[in-house]
Amino acid sequence: MAERADDRLVRLLGLVAFLDGHGPAPVAELAERFGVSERQIRDDVDQLWVTGTPGYWPDDLIDFDADAVERGVVHLTNARGLTRPLRLGTREAVALVAALRALLDSPPVQADADRAQLVRSALAKLTAATGEAASAVDVRLAHATDPEVMAAVTAALAGRRRLLIRYVTAADVVGEREVDPARLLTQDGSAYLLAWCRRAHGRRTFRLDRVLAATVLDAPVDAALVAAVDVDVDVAASVAGDRLAPEVTVTFASRARWLAEELPWEELTELADGAFAMRLRVANPAWLHGLLLAAAPMVLAVDPPDVAVQVAESARAALAAYGVS
Amino acid sequence: MSGDLSTPEPSSPGVPPAERLLNLVIALVNTSASMTKQQIRRGVAGYGDAPSSEAFERMFERDKDTLRGLGVPVVTVDAGGHSDDVGYRIDNEAYALPAVDLTPAELGVLALAAQLWGDKSLRTDTSRALTKLRAAGSAEAEEDALAGLAPRVRAVGDAYGPLLDAVTQRRVVRFRYRAASSGVLAERRVEPWRIAARGGGWYLVGRDVDRGAPRVFRLSRIEGRVRVGAVGEAFEIPAHVDVDAALGAAGQERTAVLAVVPERASAVRARAVPAVPPSGAVPLGRDVVAVPFTSVTTLAEELAAYADAVVVLEPAELRGEVVRLLQAAALLDSVPEVPRG
Repeated sequence: MAERADDRLVRLLGLVAFLDGHGPAPVAELAERFGVSERQIRDDVDQLWVTGTPGYWPDDLIDFDADAVERGVVHLTNARGLTRPLRLGTREAVALVAALRALLDSPPVQADADRAQLVRSALAKLTAATGEAASAVDVRLAHATDPEVMAAVTAALAGRRRLLIRYVTAADVVGEREVDPARLLTQDGSAYLLAWCRRAHGRRTFRLDRVLAATVLDAPVDAALVAAVDVDVDVAASVAGDRLAPEVTVTFASRARWLAEELPWEELTELADGAFAMRLRVANPAWLHGLLLAAAPMVLAVDPPDVAVQVAESARAALAAYGVS
Repeated sequence: MSGDLSTPEPSSPGVPPAERLLNLVIALVNTSASMTKQQIRRGVAGYGDAPSSEAFERMFERDKDTLRGLGVPVVTVDAGGHSDDVGYRIDNEAYALPAVDLTPAELGVLALAAQLWGDKSLRTDTSRALTKLRAAGSAEAEEDALAGLAPRVRAVGDAYGPLLDAVTQRRVVRFRYRAASSGVLAERRVEPWRIAARGGGWYLVGRDVDRGAPRVFRLSRIEGRVRVGAVGEAFEIPAHVDVDAALGAAGQERTAVLAVVPERASAVRARAVPAVPPSGAVPLGRDVVAVPFTSVTTLAEELAAYADAVVVLEPAELRGEVVRLLQAAALLDSVPEVPRG
């Protein structure tokens, strides 16, 4: 896909300002710094070479030392006044400041004083530079986690050590397992530990508020296993299901609309009166069972029907425990 | 390679937009006083491509907005009484990023923070910000200090852009909103104060103009487009907006007393506090567990999911809510099949 013109403009302006302040730089270093390919940097240089002030005679144009470019070094010789880095736009400042504030306030950062200090100083320097409150957006990440568990998990990640956890599954079964932690995903709703599980011999996602206890072990993690596990993952999808899991379709009344953004559905069908049918793949029946019990007043139908029968039976058993019919 | 652009080609293939924008920036940075639209059309490479005056006007207006959105301070200079004499230049003082002396570790923090957003448009905003900060000559990012951490906030959706502009420019917004309780769709007029993410949802906090009172709107319940009012600085945002109070998250903490089947509901037990003996009888063979809570709805949903493994003893309000959920669930196998469509 072609790059957006405004993204490219920001990089072109950035390249000139950086080279003006820093001096000649190898193409490879520029590619690394601006997060693009070396080919892109060369294209950017070619683009800059033909831009300048009206008239566009040789002296009007941004210019480079052509011999240096041949050798793979970008040496700016005429910046045409673009010597200073561009300030942040309002939207950019808002997005970055809000992200830093959320990070600073998050449990994994608060669990370690040095880490919190580092985020605080980055935030202070950034707000000094943006010169505005940038408080239009206010984000808070998940908090409901035992601080001791959080401290152990972040210490194991930082020290690349194995972790012993006591974990209760969605089916309410408690067990101990040794895991090689790869990543701590702190979301706005919940926090998850992504790890290689030595008991299951596979990659597993653990919801942190279901980790009852965590102990950092002396053994180092297996770097190869962690690397295999540590890929960007859609937690919601990995928690609820996979490609081979059975399909269930739940029809909700319109007031359950918010569930549509909470659940990893496969397909959403709009029905009359704002009702909607949500098709889910469910690897974990206990999870769906719990969801249907909790959301029952908003559920209009469940397909296949035997799922509804099981849920209704367990609800009747629960009502008997309450002495209610 | 520059070619002779004094007689520009009338139409495409033409100059790519990024090149045209860059030429405009360089021209407006270097102009001695200012440039009029006509000078820009004749002189700046790329604008000669416009086939008509109208096309040029549209192109220039869009480019001006794009540049301002990126933080380039394009200012208007009123040189005389005639509208033709309106000129444009870039305010070179306002252009520059103040010195930001970021350490490698701090730049690493920013790089991690930039990954927070699930949204493409917010990611674009943060990655541009990082490009600018990297251009300011900081050292290379070093991310070891926060190894393994991956903060994420789910996507906010299309309403974010217009709402953010409305908050920062203090403009009234209008949108169609589906009420949570009734499901009724109605037009709302709001003075927007804050956009907030909490517990997996995105919210707008502001003053509902028609109701004359502060309200919270869940962004996922906004249907269709958000329309932003024409008048800027139309209202004042209170100096202190307490998002959590507005969302009711800062409600008073209470304690629930539960009768739990042994070995069950360990995730609930993990939050237990010392229990006060309950006033009524405890069902035989169950453990008494007390847990703090603020939201009856949230805890009731969690506890209902345990079915008969957890029985609420106190408070009555929580017990009643769980029973209500269970009674609805007990009817799930008798609801009529709704035709799929």
